[in-house]
Amino acid sequence: MSEEAVVKKPKRPLPKSRVMLNALVDSIYEDAYEAERKGEPVGWSTSIFPQEICATFGVPVLFPENNAAGIAARHDSTRFIQTSEGKLGYSNDICSYARLSIGMAHQIANDPDYEPPALRMPRPTFLLCATNSCFELLKWYECLSRELDIPIFMQDCLFNCFEEEPAVHRNKFGKSQILHNIQRMEEFFGKKFDWEKFEEIQKISGENSRLFDECVAMNDKNPSPLNGFDLFNYMAPMVIARGRRETTEVLLQLKREIQEHIDNGTTTFGSTKEEYRVDWEGIACWPNLGYNLKTMKKYGINCVTNGYVGAWSLHYTPGNLEEMASQYMLSSTNVLSTRSMMGKRSDVANRFGCDGMLCHVNRSCKYMTYHMFVGREIVEEKCKIPVVTFDGDQADPTIFNEAQFETRVQGLVEIMKQNKEGK
Amino acid sequence: MADVRALLEEFDRISKSPKQLLKEYNEAGEKVVGCFYYTPQPLITALGMVPMGLWGGQVNPQVAGKYSPIFTCSILRSCLEYGMTGEYEGLSAAIMPILCDTFRGTCSAWRAGVNIKLIPFVHPQNRKDPGALDYLIEEYKYVKSELEDVAGKTCTDAELKASIRLHNQKNKVIREFCSVANDHLDIITAVERHHVMKAITFMKPEIIIEKLTALIEALKAEPVCNWTGKKVILTGITAEPDDLLAGFTANNIAVVGDDLMQESRLYRTDYPSANSAMESLALQWLQIKGCSMAHDDNNRARGENLVEMARAKGADAVVCCMMRFCDTEEYDEPYILETVRNAGFMAFSIDIDQSTSDSGQAITKIQAFAENNV
Amino acid sequence: MMYAMGIDIGSTASKAALLDENGKIVGKEIVPIGTGTVGPQKVFNQVLESADIDKEQIAWITATGYGRFAFEGINDQKSELSCHAKGISYLMPDIHTIIDIGGQDIKVMTINDKGGLMNFVMNDKCAAGTGRFLDTMAKVLDVETEDLSDLSLQADEVAEISSTCTVFAESEVISKLSSKIKTENIVAGIHKSVARRVASLAQRCGVKEEVAMSGGVALNNGLVQSLEEELKCKIRVHEDCQLAGAIGAALYAYEGMKRERME
Repeated sequence: MSEEAVVKKPKRPLPKSRVMLNALVDSIYEDAYEAERKGEPVGWSTSIFPQEICATFGVPVLFPENNAAGIAARHDSTRFIQTSEGKLGYSNDICSYARLSIGMAHQIANDPDYEPPALRMPRPTFLLCATNSCFELLKWYECLSRELDIPIFMQDCLFNCFEEEPAVHRNKFGKSQILHNIQRMEEFFGKKFDWEKFEEIQKISGENSRLFDECVAMNDKNPSPLNGFDLFNYMAPMVIARGRRETTEVLLQLKREIQEHIDNGTTTFGSTKEEYRVDWEGIACWPNLGYNLKTMKKYGINCVTNGYVGAWSLHYTPGNLEEMASQYMLSSTNVLSTRSMMGKRSDVANRFGCDGMLCHVNRSCKYMTYHMFVGREIVEEKCKIPVVTFDGDQADPTIFNEAQFETRVQGLVEIMKQNKEGK
Repeated sequence: MADVRALLEEFDRISKSPKQLLKEYNEAGEKVVGCFYYTPQPLITALGMVPMGLWGGQVNPQVAGKYSPIFTCSILRSCLEYGMTGEYEGLSAAIMPILCDTFRGTCSAWRAGVNIKLIPFVHPQNRKDPGALDYLIEEYKYVKSELEDVAGKTCTDAELKASIRLHNQKNKVIREFCSVANDHLDIITAVERHHVMKAITFMKPEIIIEKLTALIEALKAEPVCNWTGKKVILTGITAEPDDLLAGFTANNIAVVGDDLMQESRLYRTDYPSANSAMESLALQWLQIKGCSMAHDDNNRARGENLVEMARAKGADAVVCCMMRFCDTEEYDEPYILETVRNAGFMAFSIDIDQSTSDSGQAITKIQAFAENNV
Repeated sequence: MMYAMGIDIGSTASKAALLDENGKIVGKEIVPIGTGTVGPQKVFNQVLESADIDKEQIAWITATGYGRFAFEGINDQKSELSCHAKGISYLMPDIHTIIDIGGQDIKVMTINDKGGLMNFVMNDKCAAGTGRFLDTMAKVLDVETEDLSDLSLQADEVAEISSTCTVFAESEVISKLSSKIKTENIVAGIHKSVARRVASLAQRCGVKEEVAMSGGVALNNGLVQSLEEELKCKIRVHEDCQLAGAIGAALYAYEGMKRERME
């Protein structure tokens, strides 16, 4: 759900890793356009579906959540959201990514004068839906399936109510679904599945997950080598091209760049002094990312870590489908109980030496908001740091309020300052 | 008629005072398990305990806000409020199916704020996958073992089978009531129908069978009513409170069928015969049709189901009772309204919100429907 | 001579209309306070006074509006949706879509040639886009609600008000004021934000031309213009737009009077 060119700072040239990343994203969209031109299958997928499968088939897949984030960051979401809320009659209570993408699907299918956004989504011929990030995804994809009259391949990732790893019967069900989706896809695509290639892609995917985790972890240095929001950008290759060699290259380059910063004592946070290290929880407020960043910089806040970027790190033994299924049932913060999720976040906040936690009460993401309401006590107890929330949305610009944001940030700074002085 | 009235009054009383009933169960030494939406109730009955539905209530939550955001669906927020304020005291456990994101959140919130054992479980949504049945059987085995802990005993397959038969019989009687009620729409008004349907979510299956059978017999003794007013079908999670439903009656509109979670959705699908009792329980979930919370490969199943119901019951309209902030229903709303309208019926939505007693806008819509040949 | 009266008791105003035996409008009054106040009684008395008739000459009274159940001495009551449809159809026979913005409700109705309701949608329980929303914004700007229209028509630019939530929009307006943005432009922004919300409801109902606006907010030309831009169609406003509900109710009362006479 990340997108490049979110905060435009044309003064500074993009680091090499970003240039590579942009080229990778372009080539992935180009593959999809090519398939569309030839009348071959193209998929739309939820962001944490086992993409290893379609990568093995060599069928291009794009990600509405990722695309929606980019559209929102470019302030182009309203026209699609209006189609959903107006003509189609959807409530403004449902997820804004969903409203955006259903509106877009409707325009693609029905509007001869459809004007695509900067990064155009091709018309899909099938859908991939995993239920790990939330349940709304499933309802959203049902709507897309009706709007476009195309089938859904589903990977049901069962919510883990407990703190332990998923029980065996859950992993078995996950494996059964992977196998049967492959079977159904063989028929639908008219292609044979290449199991050897599958294992190779699983390997690459695992390597990339490891590399990504390393990059995230390197940010625990003080000061942090990266401006924390940079991580939102580097999620893109993990979301859309987890199983590709090019992603490995991007991440290796990123790792080198981070190491350089560490060695030189520099940071992409810029010249502002990193006064406070904060854990940002929740999806970015894409339409207001620039404002958020600017405001926090004003107070010397760097969001050095967030729980959400790690959702695409999946570690399993290639060839072991039960393990693979299990990872997909664990990766999203939204498929875990609050106790497990916020417990993990507290550990990370401690390791990164965070002074506070800033939580985006995302109107679109109900369960993540629950984590914040229920998990607040856990964080406050485990980390002894202040937890502050603000209202916003991942794509709907009507929810966020600048004045509230700054007031809350000021409040957070006030407490962090007192805590520091007290120490 | 006296019989009918007496029975309806009893259902009315129970529907309004589940807490009193819970107290009576407890005083009789019976353990009670709270049930949200779809739960394998025969397990509870087989273990000698009483299943009671949890539907929150008309309350403006004061403490639930600590753990649940304001845009939580109205019903789960009031359930949490009741849990946190002791209204559900006397329950030995609560079974919670994780059917939507708000259930995911409420599961965590319940553990943080309510001192009643929670038994959460997850239905498979990919119901056509061949692994779904085995998965759900195992999931129900875990629910069963948790319930056995609560009951302090276990049950045999035969006992479970008997319990399943009892619940199927209950379903049958409830469906019969809904059908017979349509011959007596002068007596079974929207409000009375709801009282019966709500009360039975709190009652023991054998009592439901007994009382409803009596009501059905008593109704059959009454002359058949030729209803000349309009007829509607309600769809959604719940259709409450009484004031709102009275709006139908005041405008000469009868409810002739429902697709409400709190009412008919729970009894539409029987437990089928299977190799084992546990398999029968699990198979039932795989056979549920036309529900917003059970994903169907036929992505128009609910709309088609409503049209079919409207035709079969001779309804004039389908009223979508939108539970405030229930996203699962909100995703379905546009297409079901469209499907129903395209089939030649009127369709409109009204808001259901447990946190306010003001039904003014809904009543205005109902009245406008009654006043016009829309 | 006997008369039929329609009384529309809204949340912020009470309106009444009087028809004579020939179906001619002989009296219409508006009192700017609504249900739960002396407003309904006051408008009742005023309309009698203005037409110079006695209470006893009223053969039938139909009430409508949010406070319709609370007014005593009426013969029947009708929903405001039906009354607006009937009233507008009487005032402007070619209309097929009615947008009514009241104190706490936004209603969109499509009607057939006979003034019968075909479809309708209303806002959810949220003040965004209602008359009350505009009142709040006017208060923040320290202007009268009646002046919003003129102000927005003098704007040279539309300030972006993105929040639909009343509380948030209020603070957005304040921050615009403190960054010295012209009040006129802010008002235009407020109108645009209301228009967007209303347009999306209207599209949900299916807009069939011609389109009319009723309710007190229809007197706000600036908003009407903004809504025309959003809906990309002309919106007609009758000078008696605020009385549409009362006139509709009076027409129902007239039918009631005739029916009674037949019996």
